[in-house]
Amino acid sequence: MKRVWQHPEEAKTGRRYWRSIGELEQREDFLKNLGREFPNGDELSEEERENSRRTFLKIMGASVGMMGLASCRRPTINILPYTKSVEWMVPGKPLLYATAMPRAFGVTPMVVTTHEGRPTHLSGNPLHPSVSGGLDAFAQASILDLYDPDRSQKILIDGKKADAAALDKAFDNLKKSASADGLAILVGAERSPTADRLRGEVLKKFPKAKLYSYEAINRDVQTAVNKSLLGAGVQPVVNLEKASRIFSLDCDFLGLDPVSEDGVAQFSKGRAADKPDEADKMNRLYVVENRYTLTGAMADHRKAVAASQLATAAALLAAKIDPSLAGSVSNLASAASPELKIWVETAADDLLANKGKAVVLAGSRTDAAVQALAVAMNNALGAFGSVIETYKATGNEAGSIKDLADAIAAGGVKTIVSLTAADPMFDAPSSLELARNIKEKKVVLVHLGLRLNATARAANIHIPAAHYLEAWGDAVSLNGVYSIVQPMIQPLFGGISEIEVLLALLDKKKFAVEVPKAGAAPTAATDDPAYAAVRESFAAAAGGANEEKWNFTLRDGFLKGSQAISSTATVNSTGIASFVAAAKSAATLSATSPEIVLVPDSSVYDGRYINNAWLQEAPDPVTKLTWDNAALIGSATYKALGLVEGQQAAEGLVQKIKITVGGKELVIPAIEAPGHVSNSITIPLGYGQEATGNVGKGAGFNAFAMLTNPGEFVLTGAKVEVLKDTYQLAITQEHNSMEGRSVFREGTAELLKKEPAFAQTTGIDSHIPPSMSFYNGQFGKKGVDSPDGFDFDQKHQWGMTIDLSKCIGCTACLIACQSENNIPVVGKDQVQKGRVMHWIRMDRYFATSEVGAEKRGRDDVDIAPTPEQLENAEMVHQPVACQQCESAPCETVCPVNATVHTEEGLNAMVYNRCIGTRYCANNCPYTARRFNWFDYNKRPLDELYWGPLSTPEKTGMREITKLQKNPNVTVRMRGVIEKCTYCVQRLETAKITQIQKQRDSKDFRIPTDSVKSACQQACPAGAIEFGDLGNKDSKVLKLKASNRNYEVLKYLNTRPRTSYLARIRNVNPKMPGAAGIAAWSGKNF
Amino acid sequence: MGNFFPRWTNWLPLKLAIGVVFIVLGVAVALPYYATPKYTRVGYQPTQPVPFSHKIHVEQNGMDCRFCHSFGERSSHSNVPTNQVCFNCHGAGKGQIKLASPKLEPVRKAAETGDPIKWVKIHKAPDYVYFNHSAHLNRGISCVSCHGKVNEMEVVYHDQPQSMGWCLDCHRNPEKNLRPLTELTNLNYKPESLDRTAFYKSLLAKNSAADIAAEIPGGKGATVTDAASLATLAQKAYGEKVTQTEVGTQLKKHWNILPPQDCTACHR
Repeated sequence: MKRVWQHPEEAKTGRRYWRSIGELEQREDFLKNLGREFPNGDELSEEERENSRRTFLKIMGASVGMMGLASCRRPTINILPYTKSVEWMVPGKPLLYATAMPRAFGVTPMVVTTHEGRPTHLSGNPLHPSVSGGLDAFAQASILDLYDPDRSQKILIDGKKADAAALDKAFDNLKKSASADGLAILVGAERSPTADRLRGEVLKKFPKAKLYSYEAINRDVQTAVNKSLLGAGVQPVVNLEKASRIFSLDCDFLGLDPVSEDGVAQFSKGRAADKPDEADKMNRLYVVENRYTLTGAMADHRKAVAASQLATAAALLAAKIDPSLAGSVSNLASAASPELKIWVETAADDLLANKGKAVVLAGSRTDAAVQALAVAMNNALGAFGSVIETYKATGNEAGSIKDLADAIAAGGVKTIVSLTAADPMFDAPSSLELARNIKEKKVVLVHLGLRLNATARAANIHIPAAHYLEAWGDAVSLNGVYSIVQPMIQPLFGGISEIEVLLALLDKKKFAVEVPKAGAAPTAATDDPAYAAVRESFAAAAGGANEEKWNFTLRDGFLKGSQAISSTATVNSTGIASFVAAAKSAATLSATSPEIVLVPDSSVYDGRYINNAWLQEAPDPVTKLTWDNAALIGSATYKALGLVEGQQAAEGLVQKIKITVGGKELVIPAIEAPGHVSNSITIPLGYGQEATGNVGKGAGFNAFAMLTNPGEFVLTGAKVEVLKDTYQLAITQEHNSMEGRSVFREGTAELLKKEPAFAQTTGIDSHIPPSMSFYNGQFGKKGVDSPDGFDFDQKHQWGMTIDLSKCIGCTACLIACQSENNIPVVGKDQVQKGRVMHWIRMDRYFATSEVGAEKRGRDDVDIAPTPEQLENAEMVHQPVACQQCESAPCETVCPVNATVHTEEGLNAMVYNRCIGTRYCANNCPYTARRFNWFDYNKRPLDELYWGPLSTPEKTGMREITKLQKNPNVTVRMRGVIEKCTYCVQRLETAKITQIQKQRDSKDFRIPTDSVKSACQQACPAGAIEFGDLGNKDSKVLKLKASNRNYEVLKYLNTRPRTSYLARIRNVNPKMPGAAGIAAWSGKNF
Repeated sequence: MGNFFPRWTNWLPLKLAIGVVFIVLGVAVALPYYATPKYTRVGYQPTQPVPFSHKIHVEQNGMDCRFCHSFGERSSHSNVPTNQVCFNCHGAGKGQIKLASPKLEPVRKAAETGDPIKWVKIHKAPDYVYFNHSAHLNRGISCVSCHGKVNEMEVVYHDQPQSMGWCLDCHRNPEKNLRPLTELTNLNYKPESLDRTAFYKSLLAKNSAADIAAEIPGGKGATVTDAASLATLAQKAYGEKVTQTEVGTQLKKHWNILPPQDCTACHR
């Protein structure tokens, strides 16, 4: 029976949460789609209608005929056992291996789940001493790169396919010439002791060789400043756990600009205030930035400041924190508006009051003056030695990309061996003229890479790289914990690792390997030169080749007791003034001549993940944009430019602009971004690549085209012109709307002290009217009062809490869920129709307090916020998946019982029964159900509409894609609903593991908190807690008893098993505008 | 104008109606039988690439099921053995048994080439069914309950329907199939052969005598303390020989066996 919801009326004034400008202004096109479960999606397009009419009979005829044939005989299915038993292998059980993902500027230790030899899922390594168990979205999605069908698969010599023997020959020639002429080794910023050692050996062997390091999103400026002020060979690592006051100068340390590998977890530990007396232990975050980042969203106080004026903010702060600097920064600081001055100085007072526990973080791409001032301030605040740990840096001295360009221009380089994961031919600054010089000076370019990117296509020799899950290697964390990177699978396409290329240069490896005959004795692992090289580095790290230690290191994923050598930092304060003096004075900005800020992207980073469909489809945490990039413009500038969202703004049709800066042009669609400062345009990098695979083809616009000089990511003197053209974007922000109901709850630390249970009395929750429904369903604990309740004594009862104080909205959970649960990618066209399949929807709300304050109490008035309010709008994130209601509205409307309740409190989805009426999705107040409109798993995305008539050779899932699938989860087909299952496959496995121990005893309950859902396991912030509510020791039960615990839409009496913990902001009451931040609306109704 | 229809056609509609009734009845009766796994699966006996006889290996040689299917108690999947397992007995330098037998030719070839033997699958759960061997074997469900008396099969065939209804029958009433863990792979086990006193003694290790007695009809509240008196009590209720009901009820209660009947138990 369909229930009629009794939603209380929404307040039209006071604090409001909204996802888009369209929602805020209640625009017509927003309202049109509001009531729909699938915006645009539940109407057939012309194309769909045509297709179905034309082909319906044909298909029916054919399939009926085939049905008859197919059912005649039972097909013969074979069982193929191993001929030789495999070590550790138990067929049907996954094997877990510890390894590490080498990253630019750090390492991500992880545990890989492999099923019969194929890696299927990645998770963090909870044993690692310095990096706690979460993963970010990039690491989580990196497994898809392993199975990318468009991966580089062939050795190419002068653009032609070549075999390994030819490569060996080419390398012999290369080595001969390298001994005589200049050789440049271009490497990335990964920290591998083995690679470091081998690079050193290569440099020794070829005296004319030089080492260069290149990452597109690099830290060259920061490194140079640190070197000059802290001394050479000092590696500062920030430990945020020790910081109680953090001031970020455009440093997105929770997102794309990490200051340590474990920054998110360390920061989150300071956000867990639950009881009034814990409120004072919270850390406090101040952020100054030009656009919204994840860090800005977590800020207690955030100020939108143009990126080119960041130095001004830094100068103001420095003058207050270290008065000795006041003289040298006065020039910079004078440009500040009085408003900014008060804001920064009040924050500075707070930092000063917490000396030894406060830190100032400068973004790694900010200019040298800001970096230098941050060092000076940290010194004055006593951060060095407390919040900032300093270690002795390791690795070889390497030149920058500019040094390389200069060397090429001077004719000193005859061969370049490019080993970096970046794509210099695409993303290197254009003033370096790399491509032209390489061509003119006839430099031989050897490229090792996973993708056939621009550099691969320009290279004389291209070598397909091995994925990090395919090759031996090692990595060391920022604080020196040594990890081995072990292969999970033989290289799928004969990939070769960086270590192997270096070994080949050292004559220790031949690429052409004789393939052993089947049945021959297996070659010893020690025969593999890369393995031997890693063991040698291990021996150096472990103080001797100890077999037992090696085995333990492989098992645990890190070498116990390994640590970097500490060094003390003495700040050379005399050097600071010169950096400050060199700072550019702030340019005058206007709407038509704004600054252009180039930033890394949350989906493709610097462009290296362009062909990763999971990342492409995961909505950007801030803009909710998928499959593209766009210019982000603040509301005031957007209107000043005369940009208007088209009639179909809700469908993502937006206007394009033309940006001209430094003689370079870029045409790109522009979207209005709340929280973005005026007269500034932010453009994510990495899109618009011509040399890419099927996924990345045609995605976005190339902002690297505007990058002229190394390190200059903020460009001034731009001209903006509005074009008439429009472009179709796939933005998910208005999909699955919660219709403005109060689903997100937050308060300040002060409020927590005054009114600890504020979250439970917000809105209607303090006086919910009795249920109006006849059918109340099964809920609560079984007992005298409720004989139909759930059995907490004889069954597990699953539940979840999500801590909004900790959730940073990074979408790692969403991708972990996709990886664990075989969730398909649907493509841009389908996303735009609202058919995205992610089981977790990361809702992003902007919040403005006191919208139209002067009109308070009047419901009939226009409530448009001022541009300034939009610029400083707060942003919050809320992940929403199926809430597993005990009294689930979806169940009562299913005509075929395809969604039913289990005795353990799960809202089960039975795919085989589902006939696709979508009644359940329609009746879900949380809009958490997803429908398979097409055979997303079976058909190529560009042939979805062809149904069974799609190209026969393309039909069916590709073999390579199948390898990633989790064998314990059904791969769903067209026409069924799916949704979060609480990872029921993991629950069943956990219960059966307990059964194996239980045998003839009564003890059925799994060990406390021994099962984790995929999202919980992935969450780097530890925001998700999941477990057995029947176990009184379980963490989730304790959190459910928290003051902050609340259920979304509680008044509907759905009794969700997932509840949320309200977010607490540690607001500084002295700050300007503090009253409006996270202002509690109180008992509204 | 003559009669178009001869006289006998007068009765035709009635005859047809009766005929249709019979046909419909026939279909209605036949369909639930012939179109269900009871008919379509049971008896499926494909020819295997190696004429391996379970009868010889189990009955004559006395091998336990788990000698070859070694991971059933640890994994969802009960594995088919690798060639190395075969060669433990049949291999040169190992057991040396029937080294040159032509029947073993495919096994030797597989070992040589590394290409696995293509055994033909008999028991096939649909892809959307996640059956787990270990959950059953560790809780007193014997191989024989689902696979029949494989120990007597020269060539293995499908013995039980293994339909969803058949699964649920047992999940609703597990008593019918539970047996002590020691008898798990004894495919010839009969409850009658159990020693009653020993059975109750094994139960007493983890349960109180009063609880055990409460499960015996008429035993509730009886003051018993040891296995012998429990056996006497049971003899009164069940007769001279141990019965399946007796064993099943006791094990279900004292091992806390609550077979899941939720969809998620098998479908994910």
